[in-house]
Amino acid sequence: MTVATTGQSGGSGGTSGLYDVLELVLDRGLVIDAFVRVSLVGIEILKIDIRVVVASVDTYLRFAEACNRLDLETGSKKPAGLTEIVGGDASESGEGSKTKGALEGAAQTVSDATGRSREEGEKSASRRPSRRREEEK
Amino acid sequence: MGTYVYGIADAEHPGLPEGIDGIGNPASKVRVISGGGLAALACDAPDDLRPKRRDLLAHQHVLSEAGAAGTVLPMRFGSVAEDDEAVAATLAEHADHYRERLGALRDRVEYNVKVQHDEDAVLQLVVAQNAALRAQVESNRRAGGGSHEDKLRVGELAARAVQAQESADADMVREALAPVADAVCDAPQSTGWICNLSFLVDRATPAALADAVEELRQAHPHLVFLVNGPLPPYSFVDPDLAATTGR
Repeated sequence: MTVATTGQSGGSGGTSGLYDVLELVLDRGLVIDAFVRVSLVGIEILKIDIRVVVASVDTYLRFAEACNRLDLETGSKKPAGLTEIVGGDASESGEGSKTKGALEGAAQTVSDATGRSREEGEKSASRRPSRRREEEK
Repeated sequence: MGTYVYGIADAEHPGLPEGIDGIGNPASKVRVISGGGLAALACDAPDDLRPKRRDLLAHQHVLSEAGAAGTVLPMRFGSVAEDDEAVAATLAEHADHYRERLGALRDRVEYNVKVQHDEDAVLQLVVAQNAALRAQVESNRRAGGGSHEDKLRVGELAARAVQAQESADADMVREALAPVADAVCDAPQSTGWICNLSFLVDRATPAALADAVEELRQAHPHLVFLVNGPLPPYSFVDPDLAATTGR
């Protein structure tokens, strides 16, 4: 059994996972009082912002819509305990594929958001130094 | 100008990546500064040091190269000493402390595990588990979606159930994975994760953690795992942050 891992492995120096562990590079690691630390002003933009569940009308409406779309009777995520309530259903196989589609959609949305955030991070990173130099002159 | 420091290793470390490219543009060459029987990986600090993508990658790369050959205490990104003499003096002054940490982290690497909910899957789960919520969902559906108030009622019930599921899952993941690690540390809070944990594991046997994650993935299809490692032990250089697992 294997798990796909990203990030650094051995001495290969791969970099694909850096953005997933940015907070460790920036907020963890040894700190020595006698040394100066670089300012992290503006670094927030590098954080990947994926929604969390917060209590708000927007969240409620989004969840209501998602619940309305849920396939309550069948589907691969159905807990075993539900079987006896449901009984036989002629449309089962067709409904199953619909659920799968919705799940793949969610995964795609997450990776889109991640990609966008990475691009924004790169853009801001390349803009910042030149602006800073101008201020110093 | 100043001296940028990547990490601290024992002077006997067998593969310090001296001479490779470090931070800066053009890249500064990595050099070794010795003091107190220890070695610091360092380079000239650029004048305009900022947390830029390129430099973050370089910091991580230097530590990764050094970590592949032996134990290194990783510095937090962006640590700059006045000059090489100041680095050597710091090594000598705190040699006992650094040596103790190097011993504690010998042949250990960090794996970071982040967990998210698959939204559709977790909603499916909480609706199935919560009779009141399920009844309201079905009632709304029969009414062609329901009134605004009906939708809010479903949404609020669902949000509460998902939040409860978030904390239950976070506890469950921590309890399931801690036994296969030497130590566990809460990674910094960041948006979007139901839990963000770092584990200290033996570099020779990372499969135990990978297998445990895979088991959870199979058993709980509404959880999405993101595993990163092996990493330099960023979260474990400060012993106050980490909780040993009692293994």
